[in-house]
Amino acid sequence: MPRVEALLLAACVVALALLVVLPLTFLLWGSMSAEGRPTLEHFREALTSRLYVQALRNSLVLGTWTALLSVVIGVPLAWAVSRTNVPGKRFIHLTAVVSYVTPPYLTAIAFVNLFSPNAGIVNRFLRDVAGAPALTFNVFSMSGLVLVTVLHTFPFVYLLASTALTSVDASMEESAQILGASRWRTALAVTAPLVAPAILSGALIAFVNAIALFGSQAIIGLPGRVFTLPTRIYALFDYPPQYGLASAMSLLFVGITVAALYLQRRYLARRSYVTLAGKSNRPQLVDLGAARHAVFAFGAMVFVIAVLAPYVTLLAVSLSKSWGLQFWQNLTLQHYRFVLFEYDVTRRAMWNSLLLASAAATLTVLIGSLVGWLDLRTSLRGRKLLDYASLIPLGLPGIVVAVALIQFWLRMPVPIYGTLLIILLAYTGRYVPLGVRSANSAFRQIDASLEETARITGAGWFRTFRSVTLPLARPGLFAGWLLVFVPAVQELSASILLFSSESITLAVAVYNLYETGSLEPVAALSIVTMLIITGAILLATRLGGGKPTTTVAG
Amino acid sequence: MAGIVIDRVTKRFGTVTAVRDLTLDIHDREFVTLLGPSGCGKTTLLRLIAGFMTPDAGEIRVGAIPLSTPAGVVPPERRGMGMVFQNYAVWPHKTVYQNVAFGLEVRRVSKADARARVAKVLESVNLAGLEARYPSELSGGQQQRVALARSLVVEPGILLLDEPLSNLDAKLRERMRWELKDLQRRTGITFVYVTHDQSEALALSDRIAVMHAGEVMQFAAPREVYRRPANRTVADFMGLVNLLSGRVVRAAGDASLVALGGGQPLTLAVPPGIAESQAVQVAIRPESLTLRVLTAAAAADTAEALVGKVADVTFLGNITDCHVTLDDGTRVRVQVDARQDLDVGQRVTLRFDRDTASVFTG
Ligand SMILES: Nc1ncnc2c1ncn2[C@@H]1O[C@H](COP(=O)(O)OP(=O)(O)OP(=O)(O)O)[C@@H](O)[C@H]1O
Ligand SMILES: [Mg+2]
Repeated sequence: MPRVEALLLAACVVALALLVVLPLTFLLWGSMSAEGRPTLEHFREALTSRLYVQALRNSLVLGTWTALLSVVIGVPLAWAVSRTNVPGKRFIHLTAVVSYVTPPYLTAIAFVNLFSPNAGIVNRFLRDVAGAPALTFNVFSMSGLVLVTVLHTFPFVYLLASTALTSVDASMEESAQILGASRWRTALAVTAPLVAPAILSGALIAFVNAIALFGSQAIIGLPGRVFTLPTRIYALFDYPPQYGLASAMSLLFVGITVAALYLQRRYLARRSYVTLAGKSNRPQLVDLGAARHAVFAFGAMVFVIAVLAPYVTLLAVSLSKSWGLQFWQNLTLQHYRFVLFEYDVTRRAMWNSLLLASAAATLTVLIGSLVGWLDLRTSLRGRKLLDYASLIPLGLPGIVVAVALIQFWLRMPVPIYGTLLIILLAYTGRYVPLGVRSANSAFRQIDASLEETARITGAGWFRTFRSVTLPLARPGLFAGWLLVFVPAVQELSASILLFSSESITLAVAVYNLYETGSLEPVAALSIVTMLIITGAILLATRLGGGKPTTTVAG
Repeated sequence: MAGIVIDRVTKRFGTVTAVRDLTLDIHDREFVTLLGPSGCGKTTLLRLIAGFMTPDAGEIRVGAIPLSTPAGVVPPERRGMGMVFQNYAVWPHKTVYQNVAFGLEVRRVSKADARARVAKVLESVNLAGLEARYPSELSGGQQQRVALARSLVVEPGILLLDEPLSNLDAKLRERMRWELKDLQRRTGITFVYVTHDQSEALALSDRIAVMHAGEVMQFAAPREVYRRPANRTVADFMGLVNLLSGRVVRAAGDASLVALGGGQPLTLAVPPGIAESQAVQVAIRPESLTLRVLTAAAAADTAEALVGKVADVTFLGNITDCHVTLDDGTRVRVQVDARQDLDVGQRVTLRFDRDTASVFTG
């Protein structure tokens, strides 16, 4: 049925062109032209002006430290959970999952309430009550930024490392042991080299994610004058906007991201050690003895810092009349009343976010299904190219997607700037790789013969797709849907450049309210946001009939 | 001395008893095979010997020194044994040389010395010249040889092998089998070899321990196990066998009479403890039966023979596989010379030497 295939191919090409290729082309052109003439002026400025070079450097420093610390936290936890008899494995695993799902800008706001130089409650306590001003910690600094960011990125390393650690065949290690190597020697000579690619790969993903987070970098970086690529690019849109320079900065940003992802691919591909087929035995668990409790304490500490502290802080702030050392003496629900009933932005933002996230998730899965199906079930020329094109956005930080879309649509006769549509395009473009990957692996598990059987019994292409392919792929596709929905409903990095008062999203609402300086209502809105996100995930999971996905998106 | 004494060892996993009160006395320089169906506890026993597991009861000794007791085990790294795994477990991040030299490094052998020893052992497993290759650049058979060389280079007194050839294709398996046997003879290492392939066990072993459900059914030389299986389970597991139901007509040791297949009773050796009119099973291998066509002239010649009709004939090239239906309906499989022409429906007699048949209580 080549006509259907050709039609589908055309649809995919148009979709990917609109979402990815054309905006990127305009971004490229924008970075290399001024008033319609080619120039390298923007790049020269981006690479020489102190302001921008410093942002570049800060981003690299932030990414590097975050990646390193993600390894320091993620690897021991992964080892403990997958290789030892540490108590509370589920608890540690859940800590990692919740840390990943928590929007980093909420963590940032919580930590501001704890550690801002003047009003931070911990700092106040140390200074005014404990009389130890030397111990205070200023969160508005690179250290503060790294701390907040790493709480969001260590799960990448954790997840990849624990997968690797469980998949190393026990006989690899036992071979070393029987040859006389001690536990330590075995760990260093055999286990470490075997899992190193996965850890390195996790670290690079942590790096890429860390430098792309606009929210935490604005909330913590700006007051501390720690400017980074996303915040600098954002500032370039202050009136009068400097599109050319913003485009050039964006491309530099993409360069860094793509370089890191390229390294990651290469490490994983070149040094991935495929275990031979056959019976493989699970490693025996290390008996930690009394040290179990110390290892568990480490996991508990991560839980306290990454999960408990942010949520408890936000809850406490949201309930207090005014945040301070004696906050519990004046508890109130007035901030909730304000954000829920008086602040009309909330409801609009909530509906917008839910609508945008559902629509984007559905669209990405749809595009992903088409691309995946074309790739796996047909031999059309160019289908591989489609597959590659759909993976491009992996290398695009959110704010870059926004800059590219602005460049493109401002030159189009269709006025969609400032509407929900452009945000939808941004989300769909950003997350289309997740849809393609999920669909691809979902279809891969369905044998083509099942579809062929339906065709032979007389079902048309569409009928077959609807009644055989889709139902069989449903669990996989739904996992993909959720994989997009979760980050989309809390998206900030692209939305921040694209929203208008009509198309405002939840994350932008939180950020804007924070900008006005009122900490308590922001905390209330943050809690409301988290509840909405959690509720939406639970609802979607129930409707989808699957289990909540705990996969970390790569 | 590297004999291994396994003394009433039991190992349980939850409710599963993988090894049950098992006793085995393996001599120094012996090639012993643990043979049995999947899940019978072979790997568990091997890992108990290696020290990766603690027995729940019993003791494992090497040269009178207790290595494993329920109270504690000498860890694998201090046992000086070698082990080869089914999936080779060759380290993918090390070259052939680095893989093989690892055990010597651990033992702090000098660089020059190590180089010489690695070269020698690689030579002996036909891998000379491949030192710089990574495992991903080797075939399955070559990887298995690397695993062997890695274990041999430290000159262990005992080498444990867990189905080392099962991932190789048939031809290579044949060749490696021969090489292993040769290697064991040359080095004098005690081999404990796990397999579920009876032909492999027959070809390699000095003695075979046939295991079933965590117990040793029989521990004897290959010929003995094949010809005189200790019970039905062993007979059944060791290659093709006909199990015929019969009844003892006269119990008199070597000269007992057993009614079989609806014909006249045959003279058979019956184990002690079997009484008259007891039901028994008689195990006879297809190749032990001699088939003769009953012609009109020889119609009366059915003494000491099973009588039946040819039901099915399959020509296999070197032999002919033939099914005979005895007069009581039992089907018997016979292997006959390929030159003998047979037709379905012919009446035939089947005869066998008395000592090729084993009688078990049924
Ligand atoms: N680590 C374990 N935990 C629980 N049960 C186990 C474990 N290892 C083995 N068993 C059980 O013990 C029994 C014996 O297993 P073992 O691996 O020794 O069998 P095997 O003879 O090597 O089989 P195969 O030929 O399939 O390798 C099986 O029932 C198995 O399920
Ligand atoms: Mg086994």
